[in-house]
Amino acid sequence: MIGATAGSAAMYQAMNSLGFAGESTYRGPIDLQGAPRGASVLILGAGMAGLTAAYELRNAGYEVQLLEYNSRPGGRNWTLRGGDRYTEMGGQSQQCEFDKDLYINPGPWRIPYHHHGMMHYTKLLGIPLEPFFQVNYNAYLHSSRAFGGKPQRYREVKADYQGHVAELLAKATRQNSLDASVTKEDQEMLLESLRQWGALDNNYAYTANGASSDRRGYEKNPGGGLSARPIPSKPLALHDVLDSGLWSGVANGDTFDMQTSLFQPAGGMGRIGEAFARELGPVVRYNAKVTDIHQDERGVSVTFTDTRELGAPQTARADWCLCTIPLPILAQIPMNVGQAMASAISAVPYAAAIKAGLQFKRRFWEEDEKIFGGITYTDLPIMNIGYPNTGFQSGGKGVLLGAYVWGLRAMEFTAMQPPERVKKIVDYGSQIHPQYHQEFENGVAVAWHRVPFTMGCFGMWTSATREKHYDDLCQIDGRIALAGEHASFLGGWQEGAVTSALDAIGRLHQHAVAQGEKA
Amino acid sequence: MRNNLLGCALLLLVGGVSLGARADSPLFTSRETISSLNGEQIYEHICQGCHMPGGQGATGAGAFPKLAANKNFVSWRFVALTVLDGRNGMPPFGYPEGQGMRSGPAHLTDAQIADVVNYVRSHFGNAYKAEVTAKQIAALPHPAAELMGPQ
Repeated sequence: MIGATAGSAAMYQAMNSLGFAGESTYRGPIDLQGAPRGASVLILGAGMAGLTAAYELRNAGYEVQLLEYNSRPGGRNWTLRGGDRYTEMGGQSQQCEFDKDLYINPGPWRIPYHHHGMMHYTKLLGIPLEPFFQVNYNAYLHSSRAFGGKPQRYREVKADYQGHVAELLAKATRQNSLDASVTKEDQEMLLESLRQWGALDNNYAYTANGASSDRRGYEKNPGGGLSARPIPSKPLALHDVLDSGLWSGVANGDTFDMQTSLFQPAGGMGRIGEAFARELGPVVRYNAKVTDIHQDERGVSVTFTDTRELGAPQTARADWCLCTIPLPILAQIPMNVGQAMASAISAVPYAAAIKAGLQFKRRFWEEDEKIFGGITYTDLPIMNIGYPNTGFQSGGKGVLLGAYVWGLRAMEFTAMQPPERVKKIVDYGSQIHPQYHQEFENGVAVAWHRVPFTMGCFGMWTSATREKHYDDLCQIDGRIALAGEHASFLGGWQEGAVTSALDAIGRLHQHAVAQGEKA
Repeated sequence: MRNNLLGCALLLLVGGVSLGARADSPLFTSRETISSLNGEQIYEHICQGCHMPGGQGATGAGAFPKLAANKNFVSWRFVALTVLDGRNGMPPFGYPEGQGMRSGPAHLTDAQIADVVNYVRSHFGNAYKAEVTAKQIAALPHPAAELMGPQ
């Protein structure tokens, strides 16, 4: 029996794996007063780190140039909308055919309220935020090998798990099993709290009644008039809850990064990068593929080619360089830094992840199943289904996040061609929502290892590699500093990129001030 | 046990039926069943995500090395250490079972690593005959176990 549930438990543990709890180090707007006259900084990469740095350094009076590989700003801060065409490594192109105003965020999709840096810049840039529903009590927890493969409402699993645990603990208390650890007075308080927490009856039992139905929902909901009388629902048996493994999805919204409130930019996460770029105007040069980074005693020269032309390599030069290029790419670019930083750059493998957006003819998850936003978790290879947190009851079409996958299964999706990924995702999703095949119109599937501008989703650190390499990665080497989520303890989060950029430019600024004005 | 499809995967493997080319395979492996995959299947399920079908490699802002006709493959140790420990952004596959990075890569046994090394060294225009054994892989340094606590 344990074997039967172990896989599922491991699955749910893995589900939380992209969350790395940790308070943001953002402490208010950065102070870069006293920039030496004429001092210049060349920034590589127009993702959240590079854009933040360019914005602040330019405002502080530095001469700033920003080189970006893509033809758009944002990097992983990215939204795919109808009309967009995306070509992955290997040459496969996908045309996004979503209707107007529908979109998918292939990268980051949520901003926790305590990511103070992201909150600061979205406010500063005037970007409207919408609530992001991390937990939806009416979305599903699904195991393909429990309850006949029928998805269970989060509300029911949570109530029943909690109710049964409370009943057991109350029983142990009343049988004096806890006498050694809890005083008699506290036992009374404990029992009362368990009754409240678990929705137990007067005999400390979790049963089908008004109290438990007030948590898990009713067989027939209360209403008005003659048909008003509610009928309580029947809780799942403790054994079934435990054996299903679904209990391990109950705490999904409890980790620090996932706690209410979370937000999403209206119109897509990519609005942030776009707004930064509007502020920066000609500071950003697009379609620039960096091929060499060379520092000398007086500055840094960066060689790049324009990806649209076959022209000769060009060179940009500045006193200082902030490089936010993702490590798998940076590791392949010649750069004369010390062995410590070079070793650190090569020491961080990048995670596999895939996300897919699926457009459906109607919002059946709202119309048929009353699921408004939030996330369904499943042991199927698609792992997550994310419902749009906006446009409720709009009556028209809708786009779901059809899959959000990491680890081994993401590698396997990556190994497929895009149309096969989408087909598989629709097939798997139809096990949870049978409407899929009837309502599906089109989809896109982004596999992060094949994304040409990152070659992976985010940097995976271990405690051993942190110990050995992290400080070396973040230290300024001569005139070059690195930034990005890879140079943070908020791996995979935009807040890591923002805070690492502010930390790095604060130190670069000190170096620049110490060196003083140019002769 | 994980799901119905995996049940099918196990049956097929037990029956000795090859999973065949990745593009035709409806099957997902898992932490439970990955140990059943041979070198060719590992390549098609995992490696080709980056190194592409036929070992052709790919280019973006950086590049995934082409494995086809790759002169570095003269050294089986080079290939084996790359799979074990990763290289640059490539994840390591030599972590002890059940360990490794959160959300991170799969565990391959020494025998599987030998098998996939032999596969890539004898396909895609590579014709290195000498077969590497699990024992030789076992003798190479593996990444240290990384105990991961709860979030």
